[in-house]
Amino acid sequence: MTYIGHGGKEIVERVLEPEKAAEAIKGLTPVPIRGQIAREIIDIAYGFFTPLEGFMTRADVEGVCNEMKLANGVLWPIPIVFDISTEEINEKGIKEGDKLLLTYQDKPMAILEVEEIFTYDKQEMAQKVYGTTEDKHPGVARTYNYKDKFIGGKITLVNPPKINPPFDEFFFTPKQLRQKFAEKGWQRIVAHQTRNVPHTGHEWLMKGAWLSTHGELPVEKTLTGVLVNAIIGEKRKGDYIDEAIVLCHDVLRKAGYFREDVHLTSITLWDMRYAGPKEAVFHAILRSNLGLTHHMFGRDHAGVGTYYDPYDAHRIFDQIPEGALNIKPIRVLAWWYCPICGEVTYSGLCGHKEHSQNFSGTLIRSIIQDGVKPPRLIFRPEVFDLIMECAEKYGFGSAFVTDRYLKERNPVFSLPDMKY
Amino acid sequence: MSITINIWINEERYEKLQKAGLASMAEEALAGLKVIKVPCTEEQKDKVLKVFPTAKYDSATTRSIELLPREVKDKIFDLVVEKQSMDVMEDFLKNY
Repeated sequence: MTYIGHGGKEIVERVLEPEKAAEAIKGLTPVPIRGQIAREIIDIAYGFFTPLEGFMTRADVEGVCNEMKLANGVLWPIPIVFDISTEEINEKGIKEGDKLLLTYQDKPMAILEVEEIFTYDKQEMAQKVYGTTEDKHPGVARTYNYKDKFIGGKITLVNPPKINPPFDEFFFTPKQLRQKFAEKGWQRIVAHQTRNVPHTGHEWLMKGAWLSTHGELPVEKTLTGVLVNAIIGEKRKGDYIDEAIVLCHDVLRKAGYFREDVHLTSITLWDMRYAGPKEAVFHAILRSNLGLTHHMFGRDHAGVGTYYDPYDAHRIFDQIPEGALNIKPIRVLAWWYCPICGEVTYSGLCGHKEHSQNFSGTLIRSIIQDGVKPPRLIFRPEVFDLIMECAEKYGFGSAFVTDRYLKERNPVFSLPDMKY
Repeated sequence: MSITINIWINEERYEKLQKAGLASMAEEALAGLKVIKVPCTEEQKDKVLKVFPTAKYDSATTRSIELLPREVKDKIFDLVVEKQSMDVMEDFLKNY
């Protein structure tokens, strides 16, 4: 079966069979990599980033920064780069045409074919991708932290990661996920992007998006599904712990707030860039590779601070040429609590704005951090109880990321031992 | 709308407010959940965010400082009860 992904290209899979892998890496220069690069290797190797087959060359980066396109003309909004210092290049004698063995957790992980070694003005990259050069913007700070050179070239995974519990049951490659959708009989699937434990505002966003997505389809069979796709990447102190995010989304279905046959939780490994509208396009590409047909975008999608207008991430889709993106945006306003209606309701429908009670993920985190159990109309009790359980089981007593969690948490994935 | 620090009222805090005769300070904020809103000036907000780096200012939705550690909120709450006033941030920040 052929699986077509973004740009009309077949879903990329660049994973070497184990018997060939040991032989292929013999004698290659090892280069240790950090978590971000390891996560992106997994994304490239399994096709989450189709049509990318490796880290971008200068022509790709230029195209992405200047025109939001890869060198081959395919829509792409965020550079995916492999950075390296001049010192390391010199020390290891790395040159174009070489193959490098990328290692992570002191184990072999992937081969990088050095197609091009190049430099790029990081300030220019920041301005063009994020619309600012201020290092207070986390995406800009990440860009400035890149080392001074970049290597463009294909990667091949030689040591597939073992996804550790509790994440293992939520990790699906694009091909696996598409098979799962086919088994479920879903013809349309809408993505809910998340980095949060769900409150009922999120729950209703998903339900509203499901209704929009289902549209004119017949109702006798379940033909439409919601895919919660949690972004798992670098954590910051104060964030919800990853385990709570994933398990609490899943419990919405287990506790019956979603029917068993309409809801699925999954993860994608990615370090958020907070690029607002550009990241919204990136998320749409990512989810189209997962086989989704629709993507819900709420208020201030992937934004940070006041760098973007809350609905910039909606408007950017008006600028995308027809056919460049194989997924439909579902654009939604916030849901709020209305004491007159006595329910959580859609701000685009409720006429009691002056009485409305807004709530954000941040506000709910603040309530939980105060040791207060929010009302069930705002936060499902099953979710609250599970957060507390996750805090004990995974978070060293805290549902939020602490220094200890950052140091001692069980990794999301591990690389197996490999003889070579 | 002024900048505030939301202190959410659980049973323990409500009891303290009641004992001090301050229960009326708590207002209903979210589906029946009670809160006291301690006002902050722009300068006080900046200092709070600097002193407590995990805190966040929710400029978009509520214009409130959120995610202060619980013990910090407890101290601010205790000052409110002690002074029987919401106007406590100047005193609170003197120690930092």
